[in-house]
Amino acid sequence: MTRLIRAEFVKLRTTQVWFWLLLGAVAVSALLIVAQIAPSDGVRNASDVPDMFTSSSTAYVVVFVLGVLGVTTEFRYQTITPTVLQTPSRWAIVTAKMITYGIVGAIYAVVAIAVQIVIAVPWLSSKNVTVDFGNDHVRHAIIGVFAVVALFGIVGLGVGALLRNQIVAVVVGILFLLLLEHLLLLIPGVRHAWPYMPGAASSAIMYTSGDKSPVDDVHLLSTWAGLVVLVLWAFVPAIVGAAFSMNRDIT
Amino acid sequence: MTQTADGRIVVDQLTKWFGGKVLAVDRLSFTVEPGSVTGFLGPNGAGKTTTLRMVLGLVHPTAGNATIGGLPYRQLRNPTRVVGAALESSSFHPARTARNHLRILCIVDGLPLQRADEVLDLVGLHEAARRKVRTFSMGMRQRLGLAAALLGDPHVLVLDEPANGLDPDGIRWLRGLLRHLAGQGRTVLVSSHQLNEVQEIADRVVILNRGQLVRAGSIAELTAGTDSVLVRSPNLDGLHQALTGQPITVEPVAPDALRIRGLTTDQVGHLAFTAGVELHELSGQRFDLEDLFFALTQGEQPAPGQPPAQVQAGQR
Repeated sequence: MTRLIRAEFVKLRTTQVWFWLLLGAVAVSALLIVAQIAPSDGVRNASDVPDMFTSSSTAYVVVFVLGVLGVTTEFRYQTITPTVLQTPSRWAIVTAKMITYGIVGAIYAVVAIAVQIVIAVPWLSSKNVTVDFGNDHVRHAIIGVFAVVALFGIVGLGVGALLRNQIVAVVVGILFLLLLEHLLLLIPGVRHAWPYMPGAASSAIMYTSGDKSPVDDVHLLSTWAGLVVLVLWAFVPAIVGAAFSMNRDIT
Repeated sequence: MTQTADGRIVVDQLTKWFGGKVLAVDRLSFTVEPGSVTGFLGPNGAGKTTTLRMVLGLVHPTAGNATIGGLPYRQLRNPTRVVGAALESSSFHPARTARNHLRILCIVDGLPLQRADEVLDLVGLHEAARRKVRTFSMGMRQRLGLAAALLGDPHVLVLDEPANGLDPDGIRWLRGLLRHLAGQGRTVLVSSHQLNEVQEIADRVVILNRGQLVRAGSIAELTAGTDSVLVRSPNLDGLHQALTGQPITVEPVAPDALRIRGLTTDQVGHLAFTAGVELHELSGQRFDLEDLFFALTQGEQPAPGQPPAQVQAGQR
């Protein structure tokens, strides 16, 4: 397993996708922090700081795509053939990729948070707002972002293993996360399923203050329940993918 | 180690339906022996690649099974140390260098990284080691695929159309390499839709058409008894009379020409001369494997068990 994980890291390192996506994560995090501090109605006091940091979780989209590519690139370029010839166990392949992309997601998470801290702390101190990293809410937000972004690497990987097709997996995944999930709230019968969607579960993990649900009668889960739900979103597609899709004929 | 001691490939009643509609491989059985090069022949679409992918555990057979050294591929431990496979020439990430592609395989197999450079030297890609595969020609990709197959020093090699895209020098080099590998006692199974690519190096051939086994055996066995004599004469009736009583088969090929099997040109010429029959042409026709391959795989599917002499209808 150690060899397989090492090989996955080398696969990632020896193409350039990781770099461009990391650049994307940095850019998104930087833009979002600027958008929160720059306006006149932006962050003005210490109680705004925890929610401010949750914006770095937007890197989850980037990490999701990276995870999707971790499997689907192999199908696109047929490197899945040598991969499977070397390691016939689809479980071993998917497990190694899950561990790898969980770690890579965590690294991206740290970078995204670091970018926001580097920009926000000096800027806010010039506005006489102190960022107190000892504050429970600030810590909760940062740890929450870390968990969410890291887990989305595995979510992406699972979706990739499930769908195999690169374009389908990326498009369906992003549409779902950015649009369809929120549309659920508009459909009467199923709107109560919304808190169990990956984005809503992520919000539940990160936010500490107030109800962030956009509607009155559907509420976010608790932090821990949100974490359990997101872990399921990370693991279930990967497991189903390893058991079924990855096992289909490779022609 | 017991699994590597015997590198025999056994394909037993292998059958594959795609989507329940297309029968790609139909009750195919054959054996590939260690220490020999076996050519796996058939026209495009005959089911060769599907068969090889079933042997390698990439495609699930609808029925039947295939084993390597007695075990299905997916049950081999360290499979790439036992079986080296090169399938289509495009299974590389275009943005990755040749060397990195092989190094990843080295890591998974627990091989030292310099093994990647060794096999690159072996296939003549030393100069291109640090180039991205995107810039490779078809022939270079074939060489890289072969390098990957050889990485684990496997006892069994399964190569799908390895000569595609190689220039004549490359094909000559490939033949030498495969002969050398078989000479070391390895099992070499190499598919091709072009007979001449494997004719000179294959000890045995397995010929496939429309998913079915057409013929399997050594090249000598397949071509035995197929030499013939072509005679052209304005007096075919006289010629028929002169040939009466000879242990031969005669087949008309034109209004004024016959194909005769069972006699040499000398014998036919002598009989004609003795009977006073005028001949306009008398030529020996060596029946090579190419004709057989062509006859076996074009047009109607011959019934199994028919001798080759009747299968080939004399068309060139």
